[in-house]
Amino acid sequence: MAHDWKPDFEQLVDEHQSMVFSLALRMTGDRGLAEEIAQDVFLELDRHLDKIESAAHACFWLRRVAISRSADALRRRKVRGLDLWVEIKEHHGLQPEPRISSLGGRLEDLLATLPEPQRAALLLRYQEDLTPEEIAATLDAPVATVKSHLQRGLKLLRAKAAVHLKEYVREKEYARGV
Amino acid sequence: MDEFEQELRQAFARQPAPPSLKNRILRNRRSRAPQSHAHLWQRLAAVLVLTLLLSGGFAWHQRERQRKGEAARQQVLLALRITNHALNHMNQQLAAHGRANQK
Amino acid sequence: MKNRIITFIFAAAALSLPALAQATQLPAPSPIEKELAARASSVDEVTLDKNTLAFASSFMNGKDKDKAETRQLIDGLEGIYVRDYEFDKEGQFDTGQIEQLRKYYESAEWSSIVRERVRKTGESTDVMVKMANGKTVGMFILDVEPKEVSIVLILGPIRLEDLSKLKNISGLDSALGGVEFKTKDKKDGQQ
Repeated sequence: MAHDWKPDFEQLVDEHQSMVFSLALRMTGDRGLAEEIAQDVFLELDRHLDKIESAAHACFWLRRVAISRSADALRRRKVRGLDLWVEIKEHHGLQPEPRISSLGGRLEDLLATLPEPQRAALLLRYQEDLTPEEIAATLDAPVATVKSHLQRGLKLLRAKAAVHLKEYVREKEYARGV
Repeated sequence: MDEFEQELRQAFARQPAPPSLKNRILRNRRSRAPQSHAHLWQRLAAVLVLTLLLSGGFAWHQRERQRKGEAARQQVLLALRITNHALNHMNQQLAAHGRANQK
Repeated sequence: MKNRIITFIFAAAALSLPALAQATQLPAPSPIEKELAARASSVDEVTLDKNTLAFASSFMNGKDKDKAETRQLIDGLEGIYVRDYEFDKEGQFDTGQIEQLRKYYESAEWSSIVRERVRKTGESTDVMVKMANGKTVGMFILDVEPKEVSIVLILGPIRLEDLSKLKNISGLDSALGGVEFKTKDKKDGQQ
């Protein structure tokens, strides 16, 4: 299908690098790995640029590939939710550090403990503001499956936040000398 | 969206990419350009070989098998995930029951 | 009934024991399951016979620890039958029908080993096993939550202790990953 849109690679990088990096970072929980993934995603975009038909298509393509590459990296690196769960529990047993991590940071930690499909669905929902139908198109999955992942993932996050939010509040109070 | 979901939106706001990322991407892009011709010939050669293989049906069969195997594996994981969820719920109930009995 | 999520976990035992002449077959979906599926907002249905399990297992070779643990878990099983139904609201399913299903499996062949009820929320969990010659040849779990019904039937030699290893496989984490089976050996929770 002919299209008039002329992609500017550098402009696409400027426009979407935060999105791609953030998706990779929150999928893998590893900043260095997220940078590598972001770089690979854009280099792959460069190879497929002639197939990109519009700015919206570019955004869609980048989200899909960022999630896919992150999932691949997770499997290779064997980043296990259980490891991060143990890390959260062990941190609670230590003396509070002078700098208390933010609630947002804690929610990111908890996100990393979720199964990969739920993590991806939640990220696309709450970072990218996509509807379940758009998420389904991005992940090439049935809408019912996406909704299931969103419901389960949200439920898990709520449950974990209910447990760890108490710890977060206690740490803040401890730091303030309450 | 409820309050918790709003918190999630805030927590998951996009983070700025590292300042060096764009330069690295552009640098790598430039360094790969000269290889494009060699890469193209390599791809053409691979396509020729693949075409020969496909004409015998071998490559297609292998990919199909791999795809089906991965699909089956994913089904197993889905089944085990649901099982794990149910058993965790069972444990929560048992734990709650135990706490109630201790009171 | 309010907020009942029924997780039906049927573990059908693999009748691999030579003394048993009975064939093991995965069940056909019951009319009750079809009704649940019709009302649910999200449905997961997995039916894996012995051949499919063996085929999937052949793709879990190599050094990947998760794949190895998964393969260990499913090796020797005759079948896995899982149904999971999630509903938008509470009260979407008929608890009378679920009770009928439960009673159907509470026959002489099946022994109940877990029976938990939470009156306040209507939640419940049933775990039943089928024994032959002193060994488990089937496991059935029915878990009811306010907005979810799950059915798991595992055919084959399976024990709750075996299923406790699920938490060691990445990607299968559930709500509170630290919850452990009471009967589980503590060392299973360690990496």
